[in-house]
Amino acid sequence: MLKEKGQITFEDKWPSMRPIVLKLLKQETVTQTEWQDLFGAVHSVCLWDERGPYKLRDSLQQDITMYIKQAQVRVLAQREDQALLKAYIAEWGKFFTQCNYLPTPFRQLENSINSISKVTSSNTSSSQKKNNNNNIEDSLVRKLMLDSWNQSIFVDIKERLQDSAMKLVQAERNGESFDSQLVIGVRESYVNLCSNTIDKLQIYRENFEAAYMQATEEFYKLKASEHLLANGVQSYMKYADQRLKEEEARAHRYLEPGSGSVAALTQCCERVLIGEHLPTLLAESATLIKAGETEKLQLMFRLLDRVPEGVVPILRDLEAHIVSAGLADMVASADIITTDSEKYVERLLDLFRKFSMLVKDAFLDDPRFLTARDKAYKCVVNDTTVFKLELPSSTLARGSKGTAPESKCPELLANYCDMLLRKTPLSKRLTSEQIEIRLRDVLLVLKYIENKDVFMRYHKVHLTRRLILDSSADSEKEEDMVEWLREVGMPADYVNKLARMFQDVKVSEDLNTQFRADTTRHDAINIKILNAGAWARGSERVTVSLPLELEDYIPEVEEFYKKKHSGRKLQWYHHMSNGTITFANSVGRFDLDVTTFQMAVLFAWNQRPMEKISYENLRLATELPDPELRRTLWSLVAFPKLKRQLLCYDPLIQNPKDFVQNTIFWVNQEFALIKNGKPQRRGKINLIGRLQLSTERSQIEDNHSIVQLRILRTQEAIIKILKMRKRITNTALQSELVEILKNMFLPSKKMIKEQLEWLIEHKYMRRDDEDINTFIYMA
Amino acid sequence: MSGEDCDGMDRGDNDGPKSDKMFTLKKWNAVAMWSWDVECDTCAICRVQVMDACLRCQGESKKDSYGKQDCVVVWGECNHSFHFCCMSLWVKQNNRCPLCQQEWSIQRMGK
Ligand SMILES: [Zn+2]
Ligand SMILES: [Zn+2]
Ligand SMILES: [Zn+2]
Repeated sequence: MLKEKGQITFEDKWPSMRPIVLKLLKQETVTQTEWQDLFGAVHSVCLWDERGPYKLRDSLQQDITMYIKQAQVRVLAQREDQALLKAYIAEWGKFFTQCNYLPTPFRQLENSINSISKVTSSNTSSSQKKNNNNNIEDSLVRKLMLDSWNQSIFVDIKERLQDSAMKLVQAERNGESFDSQLVIGVRESYVNLCSNTIDKLQIYRENFEAAYMQATEEFYKLKASEHLLANGVQSYMKYADQRLKEEEARAHRYLEPGSGSVAALTQCCERVLIGEHLPTLLAESATLIKAGETEKLQLMFRLLDRVPEGVVPILRDLEAHIVSAGLADMVASADIITTDSEKYVERLLDLFRKFSMLVKDAFLDDPRFLTARDKAYKCVVNDTTVFKLELPSSTLARGSKGTAPESKCPELLANYCDMLLRKTPLSKRLTSEQIEIRLRDVLLVLKYIENKDVFMRYHKVHLTRRLILDSSADSEKEEDMVEWLREVGMPADYVNKLARMFQDVKVSEDLNTQFRADTTRHDAINIKILNAGAWARGSERVTVSLPLELEDYIPEVEEFYKKKHSGRKLQWYHHMSNGTITFANSVGRFDLDVTTFQMAVLFAWNQRPMEKISYENLRLATELPDPELRRTLWSLVAFPKLKRQLLCYDPLIQNPKDFVQNTIFWVNQEFALIKNGKPQRRGKINLIGRLQLSTERSQIEDNHSIVQLRILRTQEAIIKILKMRKRITNTALQSELVEILKNMFLPSKKMIKEQLEWLIEHKYMRRDDEDINTFIYMA
Repeated sequence: MSGEDCDGMDRGDNDGPKSDKMFTLKKWNAVAMWSWDVECDTCAICRVQVMDACLRCQGESKKDSYGKQDCVVVWGECNHSFHFCCMSLWVKQNNRCPLCQQEWSIQRMGK
């Protein structure tokens, strides 16, 4: 290293540079000339003195450190927190401003040092070089300044700074006010102090944010427990809610925006204010739900939803409440609702509305709470405490060893639906819109019914009766209902059958018109020829010896039908047919709507009007099976609506089962309809009542067939799943099965198990040799 | 009681010519069910009861809710019966009765 004459050295230049540097550090005025001289001097030193840049840098550092030490003395002279912060912020403010000026004249220095290190270290990446040259934030001198500040002053006093700042925040929490700029200023110094280009917030996060979190946590750890202990849960919830809002607002003020600090702080507050007191808070939830305290529940929901899993216990409480309140309500009104379908359904709907209101007002219709409501309401609807439908436990049903009792809900729901669709006092009282609303309600409850197949069966029986007796209140509504059932997902084959029934009735009307046109003397007959598949699958026919008046029509109708169709056979369903007869006695003449069975019994007297006829002889004349004859006779001797009955009998009994072979019957010649206490000479009465569509035996068989149909559907579904999956675990199979069958019924675990065994035994499938809980399809 | 007596009553509503009978028929709503006159209830091709529409027709009637009564039954000379829809598709592949393997020829169609 040669030293040449005229060469400029650092030692030459520094004495004139230093005063300017010091002035800049102290924020004193620097003239234009001084400023430019400094540029020139730096340039010269870097150009001519090989060691110049390093010497320059070291000296600069000494002066910066010295300046910082002086600043530290000034700051630490302050004893009081606010004054300390104020002094620090002021000193920092000045210094930080200089961080943007002082580096400028030293650009040349930075370039020189960098180009040296570029030669010595070939690893330096190009992007780093570029940054170093251009960006003031990455400037070497600036970094020197910030690092010095960090090492000389910050490390020494950061504890005091933080403590002071946190004390102020604490004071604010306790209601005192102060210049929030002090805390903000400290935070800004932490943020700006960092010279780490990759993580600019490092110093802020590790110090300021950490201290803020810690202080907050400590504050509320103490305060929350105090408040909870002193004021109880309900007051505490308000406190916590308010505090959370407050802390969030405060965090926005004092923590660095965009750093994620606010979210972290909020989470910290939620943990301390809610999470740590969860059991205590939750202990109140059941009571509040029971009391319907929607406002308080809303608050609880809002608070607890902030912490993970916080609302799960509330969901459980809500479920338990709906089930127990719903069932208690049902049990309390058991007397009424078990006998009155309308009251029962109204009751169920009231409960549903009540619970839905609770979910809306307290939990803002949050989906999790709606699901809990649905789950619990399902329990209420399908409960069997109040009443149950006994399905037969039959050894005949293949693979089944009996069934558990089920809720009567589907049956009562179907009855209610019938009351709305049939001409009844209820349907007459309501407008078309009101009926529609109620039918929609029926569909709503239906959604919750597990065994929809039972509803479907009863609904179909009622529809059959309405169509046969022509007793629908509104045929348009009838057909709407079918479509609505389709919309809510009732099985297509079922809905199609209902639709088919309407179609059939229309076809029958046309047929009837043609039949009347075909012959001349048939005003008295009206024929309905229906599709056996849609109307009467599996239903039992009852034989009866028809009175000649009726019998005469049969061959003629059959002849006519044969001309219209081919390949069809007809079967008469006399237990469904009915009509109107005129009864003349000494009092007057009356029109009676009767079943064909009643007709058959009454017409027995036409040959011998005044005679007394024994039970046995009526049986011989009508050829009705014993149970049907008893039922028919009972309807003629003890019709509920009549003051004077059509037939008299002896000996008197209480129950149709008690008719004996020689019980005698005769026509009541005093029969009259009574109106306002006076016998009428004319009038019309309907004696059909509930048209019996099935015999007693076939009712048992109907229940039986529901069970068998379920077994069949379960088997079909299992096979379908296995065909698709080839192999499947028991658990997966069960859940797929429930999904497939959900619009018909809920298969019991027991039944599924039985059917799996049956299918295995009959080689439709087998268990995996390795794992008995996996099934394999066998083609 | 004869049909003529009955007629007299029907037309005479309330105070028509008095019948000597105590009970006279005014209206009879007779109900009958029809079904295909077949030996086997189930269509051997689609496994659906012949009284119901075949599988294909059922699928279509999902859209058209009032399933048309088009899905009739057909009898072969062998007296076996199937949905006409099902059999029409079957004979395109194999002109034999699926049940007895006799050559298929239509004896009659349901209407
Ligand atoms: Zn078929
Ligand atoms: Zn078809
Ligand atoms: Zn054949």
